[in-house]
Amino acid sequence: MRVSSRRLGVYAVALAFAIVVNFILPRLMPGSPVDAMVAQLGPRATPAAVEAIKARFGEIDQPIMMQFLDYLKGLATFDLGVSVKYYPQTVVQVLSRATLWTIFLVVTAIIFSLCVGVVLGAIAAWRRGGRFDTIVSPFAVILFSIPPVIVALTTLFVFAVSLRWFPVGYAYDPNLDPGFNFTFFGSVFVHAILPVLTLSPFLVGEFQTTMRSSMIVVLGEDYVTMGRAKGLSNLAVMFGYGARNALLPVLTNLALILGAVFGGSIVTEIVFNYPGLGLTLFTASVARDYPVIQGQLLLMTLATLGANFLVDIIYGLVDPRLREAGR
Amino acid sequence: MGMRKRSLRNLFQRTSLAAAVLGASLAFGAGMASAESVLTMHIEEQTSWVSNFNPFDLAGRRQSTMDFIYEPLVIFNANDGGKPVWRLATSYKFSDDLMSITYELRPGVKWSDGQPLTSADVKYTIDLMLKNPAVDTVGAGQTVASVEAPSPTEVTIKLKAVNSEFPESLADLAVVPEHIWKDVADPVAFKNEKPVGSGPMTEVRRFTPQVYEQCRNPNYWDAASLHVDCLRLPQISGNDQMLALLPEGTVDWIGSFLPQIDKTFVALDPQHNGYWQPPAETVAFEMNFKSSNIGNFEAFKDLNFRHAFSLAMDRKSMVDIAGFGYPVVNLHASGLPPRFDSWRNKAAEGDKDAFMGFDTDKANKILDDAGYKKGADGFRTTPSGKPITFAVIVPNGWTDWIDAVQIAVEGLRAAGINASVATPEYEQWRKQLLDGSFDVVMNSRADSATPFQGYYQSLSTAYAGKLTVAAPRYSNPKLDALFDQYLKSSSDDDHKKIFNDIQVLIADDFPVVPVFNGPTWYQYSSKRFTGWVTDKDPVMNPENHDNNRMRLMHLLRLKPVQ
Repeated sequence: MRVSSRRLGVYAVALAFAIVVNFILPRLMPGSPVDAMVAQLGPRATPAAVEAIKARFGEIDQPIMMQFLDYLKGLATFDLGVSVKYYPQTVVQVLSRATLWTIFLVVTAIIFSLCVGVVLGAIAAWRRGGRFDTIVSPFAVILFSIPPVIVALTTLFVFAVSLRWFPVGYAYDPNLDPGFNFTFFGSVFVHAILPVLTLSPFLVGEFQTTMRSSMIVVLGEDYVTMGRAKGLSNLAVMFGYGARNALLPVLTNLALILGAVFGGSIVTEIVFNYPGLGLTLFTASVARDYPVIQGQLLLMTLATLGANFLVDIIYGLVDPRLREAGR
Repeated sequence: MGMRKRSLRNLFQRTSLAAAVLGASLAFGAGMASAESVLTMHIEEQTSWVSNFNPFDLAGRRQSTMDFIYEPLVIFNANDGGKPVWRLATSYKFSDDLMSITYELRPGVKWSDGQPLTSADVKYTIDLMLKNPAVDTVGAGQTVASVEAPSPTEVTIKLKAVNSEFPESLADLAVVPEHIWKDVADPVAFKNEKPVGSGPMTEVRRFTPQVYEQCRNPNYWDAASLHVDCLRLPQISGNDQMLALLPEGTVDWIGSFLPQIDKTFVALDPQHNGYWQPPAETVAFEMNFKSSNIGNFEAFKDLNFRHAFSLAMDRKSMVDIAGFGYPVVNLHASGLPPRFDSWRNKAAEGDKDAFMGFDTDKANKILDDAGYKKGADGFRTTPSGKPITFAVIVPNGWTDWIDAVQIAVEGLRAAGINASVATPEYEQWRKQLLDGSFDVVMNSRADSATPFQGYYQSLSTAYAGKLTVAAPRYSNPKLDALFDQYLKSSSDDDHKKIFNDIQVLIADDFPVVPVFNGPTWYQYSSKRFTGWVTDKDPVMNPENHDNNRMRLMHLLRLKPVQ
């Protein structure tokens, strides 16, 4: 599968830009890691304690160019430094622990929403103007306009705190030890329901709307008319001929909103105390944990770029016109 | 909220619990899981537990490290006039010239691995601190000249200067076992995941990012007093997460800020849920006596201005509106916290507290009489005609304090003083206190077991501007002389007498404007354990936080409900 060299150039520039911004941003924030560590101590920050901490971290006052070189060197060797808050753990340790949970959450939410949104969008387009369409489609627009934080707090309050149907936090029952057994996976599943449901409305709305409009265009194409003329069943035409080709813009869209999904997952994880990247980023920001913040922003940039790249490739696979051009 | 439904969740818990018990009994031998008394507590907010029980890593250590793994030598109980509770030590004695102190250790104490705990371990620990400033968490480098261990149960510490408060400074000393630590390459970065300690709860049985358990020390010297088998610490990331967890009723000992506590906590289980949040350290408005703004500088120096400032403070609203009613109004010019009532000097009260009420008319009158004229804009200038204008700084995010400052500023403006609020980030706020680039701050000081330390660190010339608690940069030779006398005497009666004079002097000179005493944070459930400290039995600070050594004695009071 070939991706044009111009596209690759765009990715390279984006990556370089991200690396530089990522270096500058935390340094524009007020406060220093040592101050933040002292702040964490609160009432225990006796003069002796403050001195001890300063002695440990020395002064992080190198010239900025030296810091930048160190930073680049670290990137090249996948050494992102040591976390300030979780000292002496390394950033890689902290992030790898969290990445798994966030990917699990985001991927589950995307798959779930994709199934729901695409089917709803396809049906709405098939019978556009019908009762289903007039009810579902405006509702979808409303759905993707609700900020995740509202959804998160509402679901937490209604389903976890008031009704107590679901747990209020954690990725699995803290009494369990992780392992390959039904109990553990069941616990993970139950703990993921509310966070996934929180991330989903926005995605479902997004996918339904995109699917509907692109399906309407596709349904006007000649080959769909031909499919009907062949006497194929409605379902076969709708999904075999229509939806298959209407999916392309939905996938493009997915790549575009991936950033927003991560944004939503930050809020969701904070509300549900879910041990993913969002919660880690939040506390790292509060604790001025530069190394972790940097590692994390870089990871998110890479994820978004990677997803776009992946979509480029998938596009080539599913779009027959591109497949021709690629040869 | 009250109705408990049978739900998916409960079903799940039951099945998973059954499986967990099954697993546990396979692992540890049947029946063990049911006979244990496990106390669930919440001390610190974290997004993920990191295994770190290194007592010298103040910011990184789990806050159940001190006391529960490393027992103190002696604990001074602030609620009992600062009387000592002897733990690893059974007594100490100053030499006649007060230049050295000898601790007698409790005989027969063992480390959790069975090795004897001796004076060599104490000497080793303090020497380690002297050698390595990064682990010197008690400031031994400033106070200790050298350490000797004349016998297995005796430790003699030579001091650099006369300091009758020295035992207080060792309050947070964690004595570590030499036979383990001598092989540790880097005592700063060491995570001590399998700690060997002297306290009641040394065995880390389970450690996951979401929960950890610390269990009974098999060789604990005071095992007869210990009725709890394990401490269980679930990971909780913040107060809101805590609020959401409360209806489950799974936590026994809590140290959180719970808004509207009667509704959010007690009402969930009125029979068992309780709290006691006694007043802690004094919060005061502090003016910078070294202000670089010439008008402010002139005003702050003037006792009349400080009196008027105090009369403009609506303390009751600060407590009721800003503090959810948790703090307690402080109406003493000396600012003495209620927890030190036994130290209170009647001579520093009465008419000396005349400026501690809320009386805008009186504040205006004092300022008028002292020559602070109002200009066309309605704001006053100093008697020499210079403008007075300042911001009161308070850390961003400390909502209750910000609201209190707002109330104070309204009161000041009603008295014709051009005050405003500024909310820098906490780190920035600390910096400003230390470098003096501020005019007025709302601040508190750290108390120890006696009131002396709090006053000494915040108002002595020696500390002025060196600590955040010493932000006012107050300097008064008379007061310094009293502090010095106090440090040089070692008798309780002399300390009482000198401290009486200190209170009178402060009430007269009114360096800071005390407003209220913040609460301690302590909530408990007697569903699974009894013996909790309550307001009916106020024998100690009940908090489970890392700054309260008495939490060890609190743990030893608890008994599982049969």
